[in-house]
Amino acid sequence: MKKIILIAIVTLSLQLNHSQNLSVESNLNGLILDIGDTFQAESFISDLDGNKSTCERLIYYQKDGAFNVGAAIDPTGLLVASEPGVFEIVAVCVDTEDRKRLSQTFLVGVKYPKASSINFNVSGNLYVGNFAEVNSYANYADGKEKSDLNFKYQSSNPSVIEVDNLGNLKGIKKGSSVISASFDGQTVSKKISVLNNPVVSINLSSDSSGIVKTGDVINLSAELKDKKGNVLSGIDPKFSFSGVSSNKSTTASGLISESGKFVADIAGEYVINASFGNTSSSIQVKAVDRDIQKEIVKLGLGEVFDRRTSDAWFFEGTDGKDYGVSGTWGSDGTAYFWDVTDPTDIKKIDSIQVDARIVNDVKVSEDGKLCVISREASSKRKNGIILIDVTDPSNAEIISEYTTNLTGGVHNIFIYENHVYALNAFANPAKYYVINIEDPKNPKEVGFFEVDEPGSAIHDVWIEDGIAYSSNWKQGVYLVDVGNGIAGGSPSNPVEIGNYRYDSGGNHAAFPFKSKSTGKFYVIMGDEIFPEGVDANTYNETAGYLHFIDFTDLKNPVEVARYEVPGHGSHNYWVEDDVLYIGMYTAGVRVVDISGDLMGDLYKQGREIAKYGTGHPNGYVANSTMLWGAQYFKGNIFYSDFYTGIGALKLLDKKKDNSNTNQFASDQTLKEALGAEDLLDFFQILASPPIE
Amino acid sequence: MIKNLIVLLIPLFALGQNYYAYVASESEDTVSLIKFDGNEAVEQERIDVGFMFAEIEGPHGITVDPSGDFWYISLAHGNPFGSLVKYSTKTNQAVARTTLGLFPASMEISTITGFLYCVNFNLHGSMKPSNVSVVDPETMTEITKITTGSMPHGSRLSPDGLYQYSVAMMSGELFEIDALDLKVNRVLDLENKMMSPKKMDGKIMNKNMQDNMVNNEKEETMMSSMPNMKHSMVKPTWVIPHPNQNIAYVAGNGSDEVIEVNLDKWEVSSRFKTGKGPYNLEITPNGKLLVGTIKSEGKTAIWNLENKEELAIIKNTTSVSHGIAISSDSKYAFISVEGIGGEPGIVDIIDLESFKLVSSVEVGKQAGGIAFWKKES
Repeated sequence: MKKIILIAIVTLSLQLNHSQNLSVESNLNGLILDIGDTFQAESFISDLDGNKSTCERLIYYQKDGAFNVGAAIDPTGLLVASEPGVFEIVAVCVDTEDRKRLSQTFLVGVKYPKASSINFNVSGNLYVGNFAEVNSYANYADGKEKSDLNFKYQSSNPSVIEVDNLGNLKGIKKGSSVISASFDGQTVSKKISVLNNPVVSINLSSDSSGIVKTGDVINLSAELKDKKGNVLSGIDPKFSFSGVSSNKSTTASGLISESGKFVADIAGEYVINASFGNTSSSIQVKAVDRDIQKEIVKLGLGEVFDRRTSDAWFFEGTDGKDYGVSGTWGSDGTAYFWDVTDPTDIKKIDSIQVDARIVNDVKVSEDGKLCVISREASSKRKNGIILIDVTDPSNAEIISEYTTNLTGGVHNIFIYENHVYALNAFANPAKYYVINIEDPKNPKEVGFFEVDEPGSAIHDVWIEDGIAYSSNWKQGVYLVDVGNGIAGGSPSNPVEIGNYRYDSGGNHAAFPFKSKSTGKFYVIMGDEIFPEGVDANTYNETAGYLHFIDFTDLKNPVEVARYEVPGHGSHNYWVEDDVLYIGMYTAGVRVVDISGDLMGDLYKQGREIAKYGTGHPNGYVANSTMLWGAQYFKGNIFYSDFYTGIGALKLLDKKKDNSNTNQFASDQTLKEALGAEDLLDFFQILASPPIE
Repeated sequence: MIKNLIVLLIPLFALGQNYYAYVASESEDTVSLIKFDGNEAVEQERIDVGFMFAEIEGPHGITVDPSGDFWYISLAHGNPFGSLVKYSTKTNQAVARTTLGLFPASMEISTITGFLYCVNFNLHGSMKPSNVSVVDPETMTEITKITTGSMPHGSRLSPDGLYQYSVAMMSGELFEIDALDLKVNRVLDLENKMMSPKKMDGKIMNKNMQDNMVNNEKEETMMSSMPNMKHSMVKPTWVIPHPNQNIAYVAGNGSDEVIEVNLDKWEVSSRFKTGKGPYNLEITPNGKLLVGTIKSEGKTAIWNLENKEELAIIKNTTSVSHGIAISSDSKYAFISVEGIGGEPGIVDIIDLESFKLVSSVEVGKQAGGIAFWKKES
């Protein structure tokens, strides 16, 4: 018996030792395929001595994930090469008897296919002393066209045309040369002519007086003339600039466009050039500081220190008084109602608690009668929305709940003309539903809008003039006619009319803005980015910025400007009379001048009018600012802050007082700023003539 | 004398034991590590999970791998897909992450394949078949998605690790997935045991499956919602295979019953009534007791599996009883209890010998997924 046990132990130890030295080997190793190839993987077990054995069960997958492309492999090992590149294929060997598992990753290459043809074109004519760009591309059998390839270029006569590695042509003298572009063993050649430069003078002018403020966009005009003084058409100059900052410790900075627009970021002297070949002309522009900073003062605070505050909405009640409603986040499903008639004395007048842990969004109908709040993390996992009668906000009463198709949680909502637009943000595809609330006791779904792309997402929706603006993260902003009439849309038949996306994929909010000063139509798209991750109980680094998209031509939106506060990210915002009010998370409330043409970096241009930090020593996180959103309402700036509650600020028509620089400072109240006891007192002071 | 000595020594051994479990708080985006010394449970550590600031990402399912080296949490909400995050038990720091489907929920790792099988609950909008994500935790790659029923929940492996079981809450079905073939093996309609399932390609499938079995997400997203999909009266929410018998037990959350399924015959072999809303079920490793949360009543029930006798029904500390984790020595059940609104979640510890609630500890809001980690001296 003892012998049997001993033999068993020795055998077991040999087996264990044996298994530790095993590895998976496969015909996948070093495999290189052509596109369209299929291949059956075969793998086996090998020990250190090279002895091979079969694996009881092999399972294959590709590390790019379940729905990989390129070299897609099914669990049985059938591989189909569909895209070029190098792919990691994992072979997992499962031994059900020994209950052991071995795995090995193999690199499989899929060769780039040969281009079926190549071609190039040259943009515009090439003149002596001027440049022209070669655009090269390759066509493939699958119908695809690629241009980001490493073409080689050659000029048959470099004394006439020089060409560099990037395909830029430079006309040296009149004549012609054969330009060749080569790729993938193929060459295509074209004879290119160089024309004499007809331009002998450039008359450069601008619509400015020569002195501008930083952030002012000036429009350049350049007339190119021949030796007879005739104005030449069909050829455009190159615009450029150089500059010297007024401040010796920084550099001049600005932006100039191909179409001839220039904006200075920094005060200083700028020289703007228009050139064509060897002919050029310049004008000088002096940029002075925009100098628009104003005093901002705290009027009042509606304290919520024991829980985090989400969105807020401020409105005029049916009794003519002013009210606010705010949600709570990661808490007990409470929404608060506030009397903000006197913003220096904000009063909490009622609250409602619903079965949720997040009341992320709150909105009130235009007539001030109906409030809708969103629910997330309900204990019954039937979230949806709650409709509340706020005819008397001090006695808010729940009318109904609506959960159909919204069980997974509603993140944001909007009320527009007897309809609630409610997000089902976590579905696939994500969408917003349109719910008729004419009878608030019986809300009824009448339509929905979704971006019909697998994996599409949505975060917010805002409606103005019958157009819904949904923020769809990677899918950008969607403009949808829900009653404007521009495309025959209605709440039950939403019709898409525009879309704009940007690379970061962080589109979290969108706000339409018709510029009063220029008539241009913009959509301001905001990012939400937490570069270092998230901790809801302490300070968080935020990032991202507001993108200004000129949507004047709905079919051809153009991104023209940004507002970015270094080290801080954006959240929710509001525009009134060409002034932007932003909840900038850790950067607090920011008030920004967005009048006139917009171009480039608005923050750098000194367009910021005021800023205010909302941190409070007794806040949910002490002394930490985490601005959720800002709303301009009846001459004041109301806000909600994650850690402190809601508040009201006043932007004073008074230049910012910088005398406190490097002095101890605290929140400035109305009294501290102007010696006013209350708003009435404040207005009396404003109306009083200055003491001589 | 010896007998008396043993009786005297047992408490000493028990005193020397510490039990550890992880519990996820779905509305707090936290995971708590609970330590229980036989008398008192404490929250040893609270770990923040999630990646988005103004969103609750909803940690729902949690499991510890068989080696005890890593724990895994499913985050229900993303943009729009949820994700699976791997944490080290040594540091409780995240080490890897991968995207899964819509509202990934319960999961478990097979002891034979090493793969993790996670149901994508998808409670959003109209009902349509969802799926089970299969992940290789070694590389944190989602290998495939296997289409099952509407609102799949509860993911448990057979003791040999060869089969994964889950139930579809809205379509009222029990699914058996071959853990090696990565395909649905059998489907059982839990509503009507007289209904004979249809056979197709050597596998047993129901009509919904035949119509809708698509192992490709792109195709799945093309599918419209299914107007004819039934809404189950049983609303099964959990399935647990027995550790040493070919039997599985299903929680009929809508029909207030436990359904016993004979896995050899693939048929319902017994049903017994419970309190209102049974939700999760677990069996003690020794195979003797079945423990179930009675969600709607805020209670935990214990049955003797030999005769299906209800041995105890214990009131939990707060409302909405959710998950169960049982210690490896079959002595204690760790019960997660959600609470409502702003109430904290609670983990109740129930002594499975005395059937008494012996300790409770507060954790984050909406305590749900719970997993036993280890017992150590």
